[in-house]
Amino acid sequence: MAYLLHILILIGIYVILAESLNLIAGYTGLLSIAHAAFYGVGAYAAALLALRFAAPVWLTIPAALVAAGALGLIVAWPGLRVRDDYFVIATFAFQIIVFSVMNNWVALTGGPLGLPGIPRPELLGWVVNEHWEFLVVVGVAAALTVFVSWRLVRSPFGRVLRAIREDEVFAAAVGKNVAWFKTTVFMVGGAMAAVGGCLYAYYITFIDPTSFTVMESIFIISIVIVGGAGSLRGAALGAVVLVVLPEALRFVGLPNAVAANLRQIFYGLLLILFMMFRPQGLIGEFGFRRK
Amino acid sequence: MVAVGFGLVFATTRFFHFAHGAVYTAGAYLALVFVKWLGLPLLPGAAAAVVLCAALGLAMELVLYRPLRRRGATPLVLLLASLGAYIVLQNTISLVFGDQTQTLRSGVVRVGLPVLGARITPVQIWIIAVAVALTVLVWLLVKKTRLGISMRAVANDPELALISGVPADTVILASFVLGSALAGAAGILVAMDVDMTPTMGMNALIMGVVAVIVGGTGSVPGIALGALLLAAAQHFGVWQISSKWQDAIAFVILLVFLLFRPQGFFGRKVRKAEV
Repeated sequence: MAYLLHILILIGIYVILAESLNLIAGYTGLLSIAHAAFYGVGAYAAALLALRFAAPVWLTIPAALVAAGALGLIVAWPGLRVRDDYFVIATFAFQIIVFSVMNNWVALTGGPLGLPGIPRPELLGWVVNEHWEFLVVVGVAAALTVFVSWRLVRSPFGRVLRAIREDEVFAAAVGKNVAWFKTTVFMVGGAMAAVGGCLYAYYITFIDPTSFTVMESIFIISIVIVGGAGSLRGAALGAVVLVVLPEALRFVGLPNAVAANLRQIFYGLLLILFMMFRPQGLIGEFGFRRK
Repeated sequence: MVAVGFGLVFATTRFFHFAHGAVYTAGAYLALVFVKWLGLPLLPGAAAAVVLCAALGLAMELVLYRPLRRRGATPLVLLLASLGAYIVLQNTISLVFGDQTQTLRSGVVRVGLPVLGARITPVQIWIIAVAVALTVLVWLLVKKTRLGISMRAVANDPELALISGVPADTVILASFVLGSALAGAAGILVAMDVDMTPTMGMNALIMGVVAVIVGGTGSVPGIALGALLLAAAQHFGVWQISSKWQDAIAFVILLVFLLFRPQGFFGRKVRKAEV
């Protein structure tokens, strides 16, 4: 039962991450390999505040949002000057830099040893402790994320995002401030990912840099692509599929190291196959195909 | 040298071939198989590994990238597919060989010869010599031969090249084979000096990408210079700060170049906000 709840909680966290990346990559067409960086910044911001200053939840989560939003501002910057694959490389660079900071700035982040003993969050006297309690919190957060994303993409703001994805020059030609929209979507998406990071930190109570590597970014991208870029249901579906499917490997009874490698191979193959045969994902509307 | 191999593929095909890093790793491990497990002498063993790497590049182009291009994939789709390929290859390697460090070195580590106040082992001299020779060779190939001219034509405008009778697919294939062979050779050389792990490819690839962008795409001397500059900046950084910031330094350099001089030192093609 605890195992099942654990899987559900993970799905919830990945739904948040996938939806937030979906805003950036699926709706605006800015493929970013820096998403684990936002996730990590959110987790570290919350964990550090909670550990060093015993800050309550209503302080740590907004602080994490602001931190990730600020990072979004920085990451979006090269996005205004380079595009397509060059932009991907730029976000890749940010990912590595953020990881380096987490891994090397030992005084602040504990370096490779990570930050253990993050206290359980407390909401109005209610200490979230049990698995099912976390599931409720994560579920509410995921639902909120989906709702906010839904409001965003149905709004005029979302329409402009899609216009930028389809034809940036045209969007600019009809008077849309493309730079502003790109920057904003990065800040919003980054802040949402930070929520996922906070929840992860509070749930696991221990964070270290290995949870926020390039591979994690690629995993989140796979979720969005498999589920369907530019579709809210798609990203949520992708999170369910990609979290649950590899769990099946657990029951085959392979040694742990082998299973981890097999899981990665599985993701890689999935990515290749989807690119080959169904770049728009299971139920997406955008396949990174048109220029 | 990884950078030159990567640059070759990138310049011709205009997309980021992530799996290049995996080919580089594969080179080192294949050499390990041939030399240590099958007991071949070093040179033929290494040569066989390089040939297999070229074959690996060939296979990836034929099975993966060509069908994708036929379907009208954008550079982004190709990039994602190559990421997938990289993950598959890297994990296959760690599945087969394990995650621990493997060594290609044999015998005792000799004390290096003093050169300019630094110590250089004979192996390192070999590495430098082979790397320089291969870089010059590739540069000559790209500049002087028919194949090189076709490569640049395809890089510039695949459709126009096709119209004027350049077999674009064949040329791209050739650049994959060559680039992969180079990567494999580089992997072996590095492994002889500092051993190997399954994830070594990612690092090398990162350095390659940075060197290509800093040096200028499509310019072999530029890329070589970029690689040199990068290595110098990193080691200077190590001397000043600390070795653990190497990656960060490399990427800050990359970002600075992307933002302010995306064409690199010698590259001419600017891809900033083209329509």
